[in-house]
Amino acid sequence: MTKTIIQFSILFIVLVLAQAIMFNNICLFNLAVPFFFIYFIIRLPVTLAGGWVVTLSFLAGLIVDIFANTQGMNALACTLLSVMRRPVLRLYFPREDELTNPEPSIRSLGMEVYIKYLFTMVAIYCTIIFLIEAFSFFDPIRLLLRIVCSSLLTFLLLLGLDNVMSRSR
Amino acid sequence: MHNLLDFLLKNSKWFLFILYVVISCWLLFSKNPYQHHIYLTSANKVSTFVYGSASGVTEYFNLHDINEDLQLRNASLEQEVIDLRHRLRTYQEDAYADSLATDSLMSQFKFVIAHVISNSVSRTHNYITLDKGTLDGIKPEMGVVDQNGVVGIVNIVGDHSSRVISVLNPKMRLSCKVKGSEYFGTLVWDGKNSDEAVLEEMPRHERFTKGDTIVTSGYSAVFPEGIPVGTVMSHAKEHDDNFYALRIKLFTDFNTLSTVRVIENIMKDELNAISAGEEND
Repeated sequence: MTKTIIQFSILFIVLVLAQAIMFNNICLFNLAVPFFFIYFIIRLPVTLAGGWVVTLSFLAGLIVDIFANTQGMNALACTLLSVMRRPVLRLYFPREDELTNPEPSIRSLGMEVYIKYLFTMVAIYCTIIFLIEAFSFFDPIRLLLRIVCSSLLTFLLLLGLDNVMSRSR
Repeated sequence: MHNLLDFLLKNSKWFLFILYVVISCWLLFSKNPYQHHIYLTSANKVSTFVYGSASGVTEYFNLHDINEDLQLRNASLEQEVIDLRHRLRTYQEDAYADSLATDSLMSQFKFVIAHVISNSVSRTHNYITLDKGTLDGIKPEMGVVDQNGVVGIVNIVGDHSSRVISVLNPKMRLSCKVKGSEYFGTLVWDGKNSDEAVLEEMPRHERFTKGDTIVTSGYSAVFPEGIPVGTVMSHAKEHDDNFYALRIKLFTDFNTLSTVRVIENIMKDELNAISAGEEND
């Protein structure tokens, strides 16, 4: 238990810092923005109390907001994402009790389910965040392009991160 | 009461969710920038520190490009400085030319303004280099003066530059006289001091006092008459029985020469022809 808490604390700090220092500066083709830090929300154990999931997600989003000067944007998106987590997981993996490991991962969910879960989460996040952004600047085609490109980029990045993480364990 | 607490605990997730959404929306949609508390922007201490440390590492990555940019910028600025300096110099020349008094005596002379680009005072044979040459109308054996007095005589001319034999050169012999009298002698430099020279061959019977002004005699075609040269410093050292040699303090400060006038004598060819005629007779 303590081990898991420490692991997730380190993951939280590393991901948020990486997002703040590195990935916030990336914007491929002026379209695709990687949202690296949501990996934390994706990986939180299923058994964790809902209140904690929402709080931690909100905090992660808020800290990224503070660094990026995007008032409340990521915080709102993260909060919404954290609530959708369980329904999305249930959609692909209805038998939650059969999980070997409370953390959603390739090993616990199986390759196919995990990739579906990961991509859905990323797509939801990108959609939310660009919709929020669109309140101030609306351009449907560009909005769609941004959502798709950012989702793909984030998805690929997180798959790579997954690979690294599972190997190091 | 118990039921209420139960209800709250049971649904704490959703209360928290609503609370966070409200906070985020408040942050997101508050138009007034004063509501953006400093702790919630990248201006707070922690993020400043993090960004500072990160840029401490990343700033090195760009050094090469920055360096190149700076070099380019430097070059263009340097070019501009040279350009402006050149323009300033042209204006200075114009102003300088306007300030010259053109009396009737000078009318047979024309001036070319030039700048000293190299100069020496410390050798035994001193030369000055000017930035004007043949293309600017400079020919050998033209006199050079500055605002204070005589500087030298043009010796070698290139297209855009010329070499002047300075007064501070034993090869230079300048015919001079004491202002207000008609006795003349030859000014030579004795190689000792950059602001002193010796006026030789002054007739012994003339009386000179300290502070008398020495001017050019005008007996050569190089300098017009009356250009100031210096003042008598010390009375006559005995040179030989019939002549005095006067120590002269030069007006021209050779250490700080910058803008000079090159004198062109329009009637020089005519005068030379006459002299040649005399010699032939």
